[in-house]
Amino acid sequence: MKATAVLLTVALSVALQLALARYTVGGRWLFDLVLVGVVFAALNWGPVAGMLAGTAGGLIQDVLSDDIVGTGGLAKTLIGFAAGLLGTQFDVARPAARAGVVAAASVVHRLLILALRGLIEQHWPGVPWTAILWEMALNSLCALFAFLASERLPGAVARGRQNRRAGIRRRDW
Amino acid sequence: MFAFHRRTTYLLLAICLGHVLLISAQVQSKTGLPVLETVTFSAFTRLQQGLGGITDGVRSIWTNYVWLRGAARENAWLKQRNLELEGKVQQAEALASRMKALEDALDLRESVPSGTTAARVIAGDPAPGSLTITIDRGSSDGIETDMAVIASHGLVGRVINRPLPHAAQVQLLIGRNAAAAVVFERSGAGGIAEGGSGDPPLRVELVPNASDIKVGDRVLTSGQDGLFPGGFVVGTVERAERHAGQWTVAVRPSVDFSHIDVVLVILDKPARPVPGKSGKAAKPGS
Repeated sequence: MKATAVLLTVALSVALQLALARYTVGGRWLFDLVLVGVVFAALNWGPVAGMLAGTAGGLIQDVLSDDIVGTGGLAKTLIGFAAGLLGTQFDVARPAARAGVVAAASVVHRLLILALRGLIEQHWPGVPWTAILWEMALNSLCALFAFLASERLPGAVARGRQNRRAGIRRRDW
Repeated sequence: MFAFHRRTTYLLLAICLGHVLLISAQVQSKTGLPVLETVTFSAFTRLQQGLGGITDGVRSIWTNYVWLRGAARENAWLKQRNLELEGKVQQAEALASRMKALEDALDLRESVPSGTTAARVIAGDPAPGSLTITIDRGSSDGIETDMAVIASHGLVGRVINRPLPHAAQVQLLIGRNAAAAVVFERSGAGGIAEGGSGDPPLRVELVPNASDIKVGDRVLTSGQDGLFPGGFVVGTVERAERHAGQWTVAVRPSVDFSHIDVVLVILDKPARPVPGKSGKAAKPGS
């Protein structure tokens, strides 16, 4: 059940990223919904789920992009694990706190990717802090919506069902 | 504080080691296209074609039925623009016929590509900052690796990897692994345009020291790299500085890479393999 949920989260985030990325190709609106999905899985289902979600999501991103396969996978695996660990050790139950974890994860993830590329290419470009901060802001915003939705959707559905049942009972009476 | 199972630690180490080995293998070999890549790309392009249809449908409903403010004014402007363009097409046709006559007279090979096919962009790049797109035309439509891709305003990039029957991956000119041989229209000086992460994202290298480069000069493909046909607009010079006899030229691309919906693939097979700089797009198999 947990594995299915993790896989579904990853698949959904990759599909969304692919669908939305075509409207921002080459633009400055960088976002990484797969990273949001990985942190979502990590905070909801623990470090192992985060790690596996990171591996799957990162590898799919790498394979589909013009980059060396494994860089994104490795970075996201570490991020997923660390986020899961944070989720088990600290109180990050509120959506805002979880979005904060995504913000930190976005920055660390981008720095990890830059470091890995630097190691591989033996070339150290400057850190594009503005782009990283924009990505952090967009990722956090998406994460906030995702966490709010995941928190409120089950309750709203349950309330809807209860209202329908109450309506039926009133009619019977 | 951070107490977790030893098994989890082993799993993390194993996964990290696997990634490192995977990266090492690619950095060492750089040949052939991995099966994993082909299979994943194929599966996701099918999915993206479906998703692309849905998002296009939603966007079409929004733009065609909901967002109609200013449509009449835009229509009038488009009619006027159409008239202007028709005039320009006629001028271009006249020029082309004169050029053809000159080429015949000089016994030159035709320099204009013979065929193109239109393709819809069905996916962007899943990794932010990495610049490729996926189009809905593939080998069954005659698309092959290294074919040039253009848009209405100029050069977009080239087909990389082995195209699938129904889809192909295009490396954008502004990607950090992309390059094209270019010429400055006004002065005729040549150089190599390379993508990157700067602003503007294109820079021209290997420009002869004695060249005359000015801000606003148009940059066109020269066709000398054997990948891109000559004469397509690449962009406009935004900065040109000479330090110690070396030119530093930054070019603003003519194509708005943040809004690419439809592209044209030039179906002429590249004239010759590209050694050196243009082959810098050295992702394994690309």
